[in-house]
Amino acid sequence: MLRLENVSVTFNAGTPNEVKALQNLSLFVEDGEFITVIGSNGAGKSTLFNVISGAVQADSGRIELDGKDISYSPEFRRSHDIGRVFQDPRLGTCPGLTIRENLSLAAIHGRNVGLRRDVKKAEEAWFFERLQHQHLGLEHRLDADVALLSGGQRQAITLVMATLTKPKLLLLDEHTAALDPNAAEQVVALTTELAEADDLCVVMITHSMQQACELGDRVIMMNRGRIEFEISGEERKNLKPADLIDRFHSLQDGTELSDAQLLS
Amino acid sequence: MAINSSAAEPQQARDSGMMRSFLLRGIVLALVIAAFMRFGNVNIGAIGQGLGYALAGVTVFITFRVLGFVDLTVDGAFPIGGAVCAVLIFGGVRAEIAILAAFVAGSLTGLATALIDIVFKIEGLLASIIVITGAYTVTLHIMGGKSNVPLLGKETMISRHSKDFRNWLVEQFGDQMRRQSTNLLEIMIFGLLVIVILVILYWFLRTEVGLAIRATGKNDQMVRATGLNHHLMIIIGLMVANGLAALAGSMVVQQFGFADVSLGFGLIIRGLAAVIIGEVLLRPRTIGQMLIAAAGGMLVFDISRAWIFSALDLPTTDIQLVSALVVLAALGAPRLFDQWRSYRQRQN
Repeated sequence: MLRLENVSVTFNAGTPNEVKALQNLSLFVEDGEFITVIGSNGAGKSTLFNVISGAVQADSGRIELDGKDISYSPEFRRSHDIGRVFQDPRLGTCPGLTIRENLSLAAIHGRNVGLRRDVKKAEEAWFFERLQHQHLGLEHRLDADVALLSGGQRQAITLVMATLTKPKLLLLDEHTAALDPNAAEQVVALTTELAEADDLCVVMITHSMQQACELGDRVIMMNRGRIEFEISGEERKNLKPADLIDRFHSLQDGTELSDAQLLS
Repeated sequence: MAINSSAAEPQQARDSGMMRSFLLRGIVLALVIAAFMRFGNVNIGAIGQGLGYALAGVTVFITFRVLGFVDLTVDGAFPIGGAVCAVLIFGGVRAEIAILAAFVAGSLTGLATALIDIVFKIEGLLASIIVITGAYTVTLHIMGGKSNVPLLGKETMISRHSKDFRNWLVEQFGDQMRRQSTNLLEIMIFGLLVIVILVILYWFLRTEVGLAIRATGKNDQMVRATGLNHHLMIIIGLMVANGLAALAGSMVVQQFGFADVSLGFGLIIRGLAAVIIGEVLLRPRTIGQMLIAAAGGMLVFDISRAWIFSALDLPTTDIQLVSALVVLAALGAPRLFDQWRSYRQRQN
């Protein structure tokens, strides 16, 4: 489904602040696969997402989605096939617009806007049903301003918006990190439910070792712009958060502050 | 459940409640203004003038509030619209066609600002100052190198009907109405035009494109993530907004009976004041109410300025200073009030 070949991204090239955010990274994600990505701060996880979604252009390499070369297509065009949920709940929805208007915008996904009515009567049942699945009661508040909702509610709406038109790929960038534990748990449940229902291809960045072990089919560990290791198959099934933390620590080579040092 | 929402709200009831309070505010405001004009000795010409400028207030509403784009282009688009309209009418073109042409010219001005912002990544404030500066020369060229084009004896939307209307008015209500006939005619024709344009604009903002434009101003990241080109939305938004400014310019030119290169001077500030006045006095909640509030704010601005003029008996040379002071009052008073309120809260 998604294929990255030797993708490199360097920020501030040629200056003292040069950062090699991605170094010859290659990644293949199969149809319907659910991948979790872990790694310390600055490992290149977010850059990986930005380069896939087109927010950042790759310096070299090739990106393919569903057999199509998208290396040079602009962000908004790639978004036709890619759904995204960000860490900041405020980024995924539009304050000042109602839930209905936000969902209507998401429903336009993948086609051009025209002079049709912004909110369509025909879509109401569809929105109602999608929101009803969440058991949050938001289906009764379609005309409420999104700005009035909590972070968890906004993130739940963002998830529904991102999956409304069944994208080929769903990118989740620590989408539960800013939520309280209860809300995070609910959003995770909603994520797996939506991913399974539509058999979506999902890549999810997380800082939670538990999420990395519980969700998805494959774990990828990133370090310094590279994929350090992958765990899949049998090994992934028996993976415990403790194992993952051990492997995480064994990577630190002492030249940089490690997470363990920072946290101690 | 942590993120469960409370029971469903009676949305319908709240909507109609909002609508009622908006209407109520509008009626109260209209009555207060009427009293002001009656006892403050303000000529009803101020209403006609406010209607002429009203769409420029809507321009600022669309750029600043809907698109979240700091755009001063209105200062340049307005005189360009006036110039195009005046030159066409002078050349014998029908006023309605001239107004449409002015709209197109204003849209192009907005397009210039949008492209400078998008292509060169120069922020809107600077981009629009660049455009205004260039627009001055463009306006002069449109007017054939002259700084002024008079429309004396030409057929405008106003002058076309003025004689018939005056005769009819005098016939119906007697000779004392003769003096006010042009003012009344302006109010009727411009009022109708402004209402028609606000209805079209409301329809436009409630289409898919309009929704995308509204979303762009609030969260362009999300618009991109939805697969829409947010640059295109900025372009369309600025074109429509500045087209409206030029339309207002073409109306004012017909009202004044001449076009002038300096017609748009300081208009951005007046537009901003109109938007703020409308928001403070009418507290609009929906997009339609906001449009009405922006146009109405311009009316209130022009009437209060006319009232100050008549109350203090000032010469017309003082007009820009009075405008600046009214704008200052409109922008400053709400802030001062907020500061005072939070001060009071701390005291308690």
